[in-house]
Amino acid sequence: MSTTPDQRLARTFVTLADTLVADFDVLDFLALLAERTVEHLSVDAAGVILSDQRGGWRPAAGSSERADLVELFAAQAREGPCLDCVASGKPVTCADLRADTAQARWPGFSPAALGSGFRAASAVPMRLREQTIGALTLLNQEPIELDADTVAVGQALADVATIGILHQRAAARGELLAEQLEATLQQRTVIEQAKGVLAEALSLDMHDAFSRLREYAHDRKRRLSDVAHELADGTLDPADITVEHH
Amino acid sequence: MTDRRQRFLGLLSTEGKADQGQRMSRICALCVAELVVSGAGATVLSETRDGAGTGPHRALVHASNEVSAGLEDLQLTVGEGPCLDAFAQGGPVLIPDLAAAIGRWPAFGPAAAELGVAAVFSFPLQVGVVRLGSLDFYRDQPGPLSRTQVTDALILADLATYAVIDQLDGHAASDLSWLADSHIEVHQAVGMVKVQLGITSDAALLRIRAYAYAHEVTLALVASQVVARTLRFRPEEDSA
Repeated sequence: MSTTPDQRLARTFVTLADTLVADFDVLDFLALLAERTVEHLSVDAAGVILSDQRGGWRPAAGSSERADLVELFAAQAREGPCLDCVASGKPVTCADLRADTAQARWPGFSPAALGSGFRAASAVPMRLREQTIGALTLLNQEPIELDADTVAVGQALADVATIGILHQRAAARGELLAEQLEATLQQRTVIEQAKGVLAEALSLDMHDAFSRLREYAHDRKRRLSDVAHELADGTLDPADITVEHH
Repeated sequence: MTDRRQRFLGLLSTEGKADQGQRMSRICALCVAELVVSGAGATVLSETRDGAGTGPHRALVHASNEVSAGLEDLQLTVGEGPCLDAFAQGGPVLIPDLAAAIGRWPAFGPAAAELGVAAVFSFPLQVGVVRLGSLDFYRDQPGPLSRTQVTDALILADLATYAVIDQLDGHAASDLSWLADSHIEVHQAVGMVKVQLGITSDAALLRIRAYAYAHEVTLALVASQVVARTLRFRPEEDSA
């Protein structure tokens, strides 16, 4: 049965909402969100960066863990549409990074993105009340002007990402956000350590190491962060990370 | 906000060559001055686990006053509290009103209140799974940390983390940026070296740092070589 894009999008929001159960894993959730963003917005890559609450920004999740893409998301935290977006709290779009204006505006980011094969870049803010806590980045391999509808859907997905950060506990306390953001970035560090363990033990690249980690967690119905933690602290043997094929 | 980090570094570096105890005490004093808290304390796990993962974890406590010292001891004694929860959730635990949260820690809560603690804020000192200690503040009146105070506390916790790591491998690192900045390859390299040498992540981090120090290159460069698989650590030769 064929479905319309709107129906598929609605289904994605339902899936994401369903994921927000009591003990869900925020980084797994953000990775899913980035993947679905790519699917719905017809962009080639998507990533989430978050405030480190020290004045900086750090990548938390992406639609791919390809090394150059991860590097590009990290670069976004220093200069580019993403940084402009979090500074202004408004969506920032650039239809063609090869244009002189883009090169002048982002002399570091534009060549880096082009070098990784991307021609267009946009970012929508993740906002909570008056605060911008991060951004959802969209990258395209072809030059493309994102229309208002696409940006609006991107904004809706970014809003869902914000809800994900504030997961599982009532958001009444102001401290919660600070706790959650820092915990999320610390979990990201654990995931990087676990990717290293798997990459070395199973001779995988970092993208495949992450995929394997995530598939294993899903197969065993376990939290991604818990599995990553056990791999990095040595309580789980990387040789045990085999994935059941159904 | 990098300015804030620079400013704190400047305030701490005026002390000259200090041992870790002095540095942690300085950081605690700085916390009290900058964060408008009644006291600050740090528990430092002074030895990381050895290769077999079973080495002793000795805890050293630094505190700006008696109450903070008591608070640090209390968490170690009763085996519960915001500091241990901070490790469990991998981020700070901020309790602006302890009386309202007393049920969360049936042993710690009442005993802390007894000490005169009305608000408590714990920041874990850790790099992913590498646990190094905690930095804890209390107030004798309830009230939340402001957003700026949270920022300052996170930066001071970063500096405390550097201080602990410096002490563990016995030398001060020149590149202080790798923790706060997004050097994900350092973390990936820790995982890879852990497997290459069959050691803990704690030990792997120290090994990579020791290598960088011995070869006078940055940690980020060593990490990128490990991740690119142009550099391997071998158990038989002491790379450091």
